Amino acid sequence: MRYFEKMRGHTQSPPGVGPAEVIWSGIGSFLGLAAVSLLHFQLLDPVGHMMIIGSFGASAVLIYGAIRSPLAQPRNLIGGHVLSAIVGVTAFQILGGQLWLAASVAVSLAIVVMHLTKTLHPPGGATALIAVIGGDSIHNLGYWYVLMPTALGAVIMLIIALIVNNISGNRRYPEFWL
Amino acid sequence: MNTSPIRECGPMEISEQDVLVAMKTMQGYIDITPADFREIYRMAYALAKNRLMNNLKAADVMSSPVHVIPAEMDLVDTAILLAEQNISGAPVIDGDGRIVGVISEKDFLIRMGAGENGSFMQVVASCLKNRGCLATPLRNQIARDIMTTPAIVRPPDVAIGAIATLFMEKKINRLPITDSDGHPIGIVTRLNLINSWCALG
Repeated sequence: MRYFEKMRGHTQSPPGVGPAEVIWSGIGSFLGLAAVSLLHFQLLDPVGHMMIIGSFGASAVLIYGAIRSPLAQPRNLIGGHVLSAIVGVTAFQILGGQLWLAASVAVSLAIVVMHLTKTLHPPGGATALIAVIGGDSIHNLGYWYVLMPTALGAVIMLIIALIVNNISGNRRYPEFWL
Repeated sequence: MNTSPIRECGPMEISEQDVLVAMKTMQGYIDITPADFREIYRMAYALAKNRLMNNLKAADVMSSPVHVIPAEMDLVDTAILLAEQNISGAPVIDGDGRIVGVISEKDFLIRMGAGENGSFMQVVASCLKNRGCLATPLRNQIARDIMTTPAIVRPPDVAIGAIATLFMEKKINRLPITDSDGHPIGIVTRLNLINSWCALG
């Protein structure tokens, strides 16, 4: 009975944020994504490189929209993406013959590794998954995927976060570095 | 059993609503539910309380110097001294200054017809029934005759948490603090404990 009882939930949602937080979240994420996608589409894509992956959209939610969260701190942002990318590429290279297995191992192992290293960053799960299901353009990068787009893109997003999140008197970022 | 009087100024319970309002005041998205925060608060508070109860020693909260009664002191003088100092009890010392017992209102009351509980109202009742009071049996006696022995004493480094437990278990109201030779250097009363506990809060 207790088992099903637990499914009902037991507390309430945290309060909604004020208008200033909404606006700064919007501005930060716009500028962060603008920075990486400008580089990607204007500079790198034409010469066959890439700078942007889908998981950056998720990172933007955290590092511009929930900046106090431990999940959004630089250690988690950079560490989570980089470690997950390594796990993802490795999973594909070893288990690529069975994509379903490669995909599930990539994500689950990425979470385990992020937990163990205190770098849990939810978008990291996507970064690991993309290494498996991202198609030839990603597969052909091999371990370069870890460095570019993943690490470099994350660093650029971080720089924008440091600049934008500290403009308002009521906000500050990061909570901690390491 | 955890009903020691020092709990009366104890940990403040916070409601989820309090947490919710506080989170709203902080602005920004706080990545925790009110219930989880409350759980952390409770655990942290319990840890802090434990630490303080163990870190705060008798020496930090005791009254010092302590009024003492020589064992040979006449009970009339003893009563006068307690009354003048406005205290309800004191350690009794021998000729070497070592504590040999504790004397308190209760020791007087018991001998004035208060029964084992030392209830003052029992004395009032006896007085009214007998058309007179029964303090006379105490005449010509000395502190040693009615004091409570053996004296429960502790060294100055005993933690206030342990003192609270001792008060409950031994049903006592004051604890003389002695140096290694058994000389009194202070006394911890229930009031001292309450004050120290409120200071923590």
